[in-house]
Amino acid sequence: MKKLYLLTALGGSVVLQAQSPVNSAMFGTMEARQLGPGTMSGRITAIEGVVNDDGKTLYVGTAGGGVWKSTNAGASYKSVFDKYCQSIGALAINQQSPNIVYVGTGESNMRNSVSIGNGMYKTTDGGDNWKKLGLDSTEHIARVIVHPKDPNVIYVAAPGALWSDSKHRGLYKSTNGGETWEKIFYINEKTGCAELLMDPSNPEVLYASMWQFRRQPYSFNSGGEGSGLYKSSDGGKTWKELKNGLPPKPFGRIAMALAPSDPKQMVAIVENKKTGLFVSSDGGENWKNLSAPMNVCARPFYFSTIAFDPLDAKRLYRPAFQFAYSNDGGYSFAEASNSGGWVHSDMHALWINPKYTNVMYVGTDGGVYSSMDRGVTWQFNHALPVGQFYHVAIDNKEPYNVYGGLQDNGSWMAPSAAPGGVGNGHWSRVGGGDGFWTVPDADGKTLYSEWQGGNMNRVDMSNLKGENIQPQKTSKEEKLRWNWNTPIVTGEKNPGNLYVGAQYVYKSINQGRNWTRISPDLTTNDKNKQKQEDSGGLSEDNTSAENHCTIFTIAESPLDENLVWVGTDDGNLQYTPDGGKTWTNVSPMVALSGIAKQAWVSSIQPSRFDKNTVYATFENHMYGDHNTYLGKSTDMGKTWKRLNSNEFTGFAHKIKEDLMNKNLLFLGTEMGLFATLDGGENWFRMKNNIPEYVLARDIQIHPKTHDLVIGSHGRGVFIVDDIRPMRNLNKEIWDQDVYFFPTPDITLVNGKFGWGGPDVSGGWYAGNPAHNPPFSYYLKQRISSGKATIEIYDDKNALVQSIPGTIRRGLNKVYWNVHGTPPKVAEGSTKLDGAGFAAPMVLPGTYTVKLKVKDKEYIGKANCVSDENNKDYSLEDRKLVYEKAMALQSLYNKINNSIDSINLYQKLLTTDSLAYSKNKNAKAFYEDLQKVKAELMATKKVSIFADEKRLRENVSELYSTFCWMEVKPSTTQMEAIDDLQKDYEKQSAELSKVMNKHLPKHPKLREKKKVD
Amino acid sequence: MKTSFNYLLLALIISLSSFTKAQSLDEIVAKHLEAIGGKDNWAKLKTLRTECTMKSQGTDINFTIVQVDKKCMRQDIAVAGMVGYNIINNKEGWNYAPWQGHTKAEAMTEDDVKNSQDELWLQDEFITYKELGKTMEYIGKDDVDGTECFKIKMASKDGKETTYYIDPSTYFVIKQTEKMTSNGQVQESSTFFSDYKKLDEGIVYPMSISGEWGEMTITKLEINPKVDESIFTVAK
Repeated sequence: MKKLYLLTALGGSVVLQAQSPVNSAMFGTMEARQLGPGTMSGRITAIEGVVNDDGKTLYVGTAGGGVWKSTNAGASYKSVFDKYCQSIGALAINQQSPNIVYVGTGESNMRNSVSIGNGMYKTTDGGDNWKKLGLDSTEHIARVIVHPKDPNVIYVAAPGALWSDSKHRGLYKSTNGGETWEKIFYINEKTGCAELLMDPSNPEVLYASMWQFRRQPYSFNSGGEGSGLYKSSDGGKTWKELKNGLPPKPFGRIAMALAPSDPKQMVAIVENKKTGLFVSSDGGENWKNLSAPMNVCARPFYFSTIAFDPLDAKRLYRPAFQFAYSNDGGYSFAEASNSGGWVHSDMHALWINPKYTNVMYVGTDGGVYSSMDRGVTWQFNHALPVGQFYHVAIDNKEPYNVYGGLQDNGSWMAPSAAPGGVGNGHWSRVGGGDGFWTVPDADGKTLYSEWQGGNMNRVDMSNLKGENIQPQKTSKEEKLRWNWNTPIVTGEKNPGNLYVGAQYVYKSINQGRNWTRISPDLTTNDKNKQKQEDSGGLSEDNTSAENHCTIFTIAESPLDENLVWVGTDDGNLQYTPDGGKTWTNVSPMVALSGIAKQAWVSSIQPSRFDKNTVYATFENHMYGDHNTYLGKSTDMGKTWKRLNSNEFTGFAHKIKEDLMNKNLLFLGTEMGLFATLDGGENWFRMKNNIPEYVLARDIQIHPKTHDLVIGSHGRGVFIVDDIRPMRNLNKEIWDQDVYFFPTPDITLVNGKFGWGGPDVSGGWYAGNPAHNPPFSYYLKQRISSGKATIEIYDDKNALVQSIPGTIRRGLNKVYWNVHGTPPKVAEGSTKLDGAGFAAPMVLPGTYTVKLKVKDKEYIGKANCVSDENNKDYSLEDRKLVYEKAMALQSLYNKINNSIDSINLYQKLLTTDSLAYSKNKNAKAFYEDLQKVKAELMATKKVSIFADEKRLRENVSELYSTFCWMEVKPSTTQMEAIDDLQKDYEKQSAELSKVMNKHLPKHPKLREKKKVD
Repeated sequence: MKTSFNYLLLALIISLSSFTKAQSLDEIVAKHLEAIGGKDNWAKLKTLRTECTMKSQGTDINFTIVQVDKKCMRQDIAVAGMVGYNIINNKEGWNYAPWQGHTKAEAMTEDDVKNSQDELWLQDEFITYKELGKTMEYIGKDDVDGTECFKIKMASKDGKETTYYIDPSTYFVIKQTEKMTSNGQVQESSTFFSDYKKLDEGIVYPMSISGEWGEMTITKLEINPKVDESIFTVAK
């Protein structure tokens, strides 16, 4: 008995955990629209192709957008890594069985904003399914190599953690396809392996570049005694350092390559006090320095790719700041032409098809380009939506616009909906450099955009001309310190307030024409963290990315414009209750809740439901701490509670409170988007067409459309259209088997846009939101047997339309086109009859909606209202159009009845084919019927390019016009109805004549018809 | 006492975890076959005539599908006054779609014919996969519309892959994803199955089939009807 009890208890708890009521599966139908775009794309970190005859299959690894696969040489791509870490360091294909692909997560271009990986993954079916292979703590992986002859041997070069010491770095080897790993080369906790080469003629020969590097929030150091160039001739068992001809150490990062066609020919860019290009012709034993242009040697920590043509040991490629190539083994370099269009600078990946070496793909900070002429000219791949947004903003226009700034791709805007759907061509660039906050002003004509280090413009949206509005230091201030990603924020309560932050907060009430400093230095002002001019290590690298002790976030309370919260990158969280007269630092109280003390305050959300309530996210990854820190205070910051969940992954970027439901919150982190319906007690991961580990940097909610807008750092913008069902879901509902949500008002309109045509600029396509709310219902369980149906009835209880419903667990959505049921079409036409798809738009009023689930009915209402935006269509017009459309439908039905009748008699006449062929009367009857039929509808067999119109086609055309019109009909349209009526009467009389003439001669037929 | 209790707990956890593991591919397949009416009942299926309706914004599109196991099939489609059809046998395929401007039946490409061969087999693929020369692999669990399903992949020698998602509460297939190379392009499509009903003949059949194209409801299903095989000849 005891055993049994235990079993039940344990089993029960397992089941309970597995079926926690609220999770992402409930909201699967609220699929996000991936707005992309592919217009500017994002940083590409790895490109590998399958070596076969067509060379069309490519895998692309990205900085924050996972892995994409193309099977058509880059014309289109498919994301194949949506369930895993989105930061990709390296890819490797087992070319013997090219469905086996390895992914090393964690990019190794160690800039300030680089994300973090969680180890190795493998697919054996070309990307459909993945398995995790360990090395979870390596954080960054620079290279994966599959042994060409023994593909179970895998090498992984891991530079390792960027922000902390770590033993999980160095060179790893597996001899069983990644099942287990051995660390075969390790220097120290500060030095990892940044590059690995294998000699294809003798795969036991390996070259490893070891790199010592470290970032702190306020500085970067590339270089140290750990860095060096090493060679092994025994598959990594033993290593010797290569020094002959190389400069004195310390080294920084070393980029290197060997020529596959002559593997003793090598090249290396060695970062040191005087970074240079070195060549060796004896497998690295001896090196010679070559003079090299700036572009070849600049920024060695960021540009680590160099490659030989696989068939030509003299042809060398250096994708770096620009794309450079050499025909003489590195003695001289030329740069790629821009004839094929501008090529984005900052390059990190190159794949050359070894079978057709004219063909290559380069990965830049702004996407993938392909070349057919050995890298001389390039064409952009338009369908990779991997833009790295830092922030996203929205306006109040209809349709509303989305704004945002991106890593190395400036600032952009696009409509959230457009004729034909939103595509690449709808995006406009509104700012340059690295873009961050891009904020529309409430006047609808102005926006604010910025580039790195606090450079900011007020932009006139009519012509995109910008005026610099960055506040300047006066004698009363210290040198201004601007964050890489400087906050520019308009007021939540008073949108006429504009705030920016250096170490002080500045406020403008006239669009940045003048500023008032409203705070003292709100940071810790720790001078030890302000030595950016010395940053970079061996190569000075100071691009404002390391600026520190700065303000990072500003938020005005939605309830009080004088209450402003400010967070800094060095741990301070301060507020003013009086528009800046006094400030209180609440960070010591935050720390008491278990949130790391010096963490960046990444976002602040003052509640719109209670002035004393505030949420904030904190992130501490720059001190090697990846915890998700989210805090809430309900007493103006005096005490804090840390909101946590086992679901959370990744350090926190953004907390967003819903506009209507105070218990609905969204949290964006470096590894996922999360939501809670109960004020933060229980959280779940959002997966509805959103990558599970998306780098969710910013979140907005639209007050009119109720859309959730997400700015991601690697997958562009996502829009979850209309989150009202999520807002309305609560325990009372999810405990029921079926719940039919009230339907919001439905506007009687055939879509918001015209056709628009295909997006001729091609590339990524995001579609449009639905133009009307759906019927929404909740199912506790999926229905395996039985159906769900929606039926709409008018006030006379006549069925307007029946629509099949979905049966999934959680939220289901069914859309109605606000029309009735199209008429049946009699068979025999040579043309697709449009009337078969057309029914009159219903009139304004309240309709009864029955949700039928299996054998139960749930009754709801749909209130259909006129389209307020269409001033050209009065209620009288609607009634007239409806009446005429119904009259035409009735006429159409009569014509079809006549055709049906003719079809039937013709069938009866010819059923007994022998009798028919012998019977002159039957033939004559058939032919007379055919004559009438040929007047009633198109009967000639012709191609689609030859137009034949008879009565049915003419009625069909006019009927369809009346069904789809949203304007008062014209006089000719009205007159045409009467003419068609008369035409029909004529044909009907003709048919009666034929019947009267022939039917008496076929008494049997009359009987048979009655029976049928 | 405490030790024995811990031991018991440990043993139980082990047995529970091995229970999960023991849900082997064979077992899943066996339960699936049982759920759909058993191998024996399916084995009786030689011909099939299906009538179904697809609803699109109130418009009905009617399909009549006649299949002879392993040999041929014909699909007639009636839409807005026009009737078209397609015919596939082991060697060739024909498609007559007057709404696309066809004035006569047009030949299908070799790839399309090859990729359609599976559809000629009336038996559930979990019965016939060996005969079809396919391999079967258990991938793991995956979410389908909020239901955590068993995911099983079948691959043919020529590279066509079908992934089945089986609902663990019913052992019905609720989703199937096909991936194939056709006319030089990799194509992927998903089909969803629901409203399973037990037919008089003992087999259990999904009466609702949906995909990106819409939802099709089976209105009539005839098991082993007499089939006039002349309907599989193209009117040229």
